[in-house]
Amino acid sequence: MGKIELFEDNLLQIEVIENKNSITMVWTGKSTNRKPSEFISPILADTIKKSNATKKRIMLDFRKLDYMNSSTITPIIKILERAKRGAIQITLLYNRSLKWQDLSFSALEIFQTKDSKVEIKGVDNHVS
Amino acid sequence: MKRFLKLAVKPEWHEIEEARIEASKYLQSLGLMTDSVHALTMVISELIENGIKYGSFTVPEDTVEVDIHQNENIITVEVINPLDPTDDTAHNHLIKLDKTVQWIRGYQDPFEAYVEKLKEVSRRPLNDEESGLGLVRIAYEGKAILDFFVAEGGSLNVSAVSNFQGDTYGEN
Repeated sequence: MGKIELFEDNLLQIEVIENKNSITMVWTGKSTNRKPSEFISPILADTIKKSNATKKRIMLDFRKLDYMNSSTITPIIKILERAKRGAIQITLLYNRSLKWQDLSFSALEIFQTKDSKVEIKGVDNHVS
Repeated sequence: MKRFLKLAVKPEWHEIEEARIEASKYLQSLGLMTDSVHALTMVISELIENGIKYGSFTVPEDTVEVDIHQNENIITVEVINPLDPTDDTAHNHLIKLDKTVQWIRGYQDPFEAYVEKLKEVSRRPLNDEESGLGLVRIAYEGKAILDFFVAEGGSLNVSAVSNFQGDTYGEN
């Protein structure tokens, strides 16, 4: 059975979709809060907990995100760094057709691991 | 065509989004490509965020002043905030700002500086909320050269100069 939860704060929406093999976090809108970690980190922590319990891969899908401030990048890279050393599997998806996403997220390839435990994937999603 | 835009942003967080919208409209009116508008709007947002975080706003009239100038392919963004050098937070911010700007200049390619900063920040404790990525992101994604000075009247002026020669002014 699939399960969907929606979290909303200011201009940012995070949808957490749990399927048979994965838990997907879809980020939509803009992340502009002064302390975005206060909203993001508990959702990430809960998703990691579920992933640890079920061994499901976490998919962080940023393709619908319009903007994020630099404070938003902090909790994301901390999770990627810890995933490198831990048991959880993470795939980060971004829209390579958007230059800002390509610049921001392709730099996170430094956290990618050879065994695909951490994957950073740019997808061509042309926005009309 | 209007060659500059000045904004007075109240030191309240929700004001940043309004400034972003105004700045974005102005940059679009210059004929910049969408990607460049996005990059510059990020630069403006990050600098206003710092201005609000570290400025000293003692009277209701105090604002973060944003000046955006265009000179051919060069876009200069200046963000000015009142400063109280006797305040410890402001003083520490100035020292850190100086150190960070010098550190970024030490790299030939700002991407390398950005990657170094990502590695450093990612290893910090989960409850450490400080990002420290804003300025280096401006240099890397905004292709901007950063500088700053403290004016005699006691305000901090941070500038980011971006050269978009060859990759802007047209359709994406």
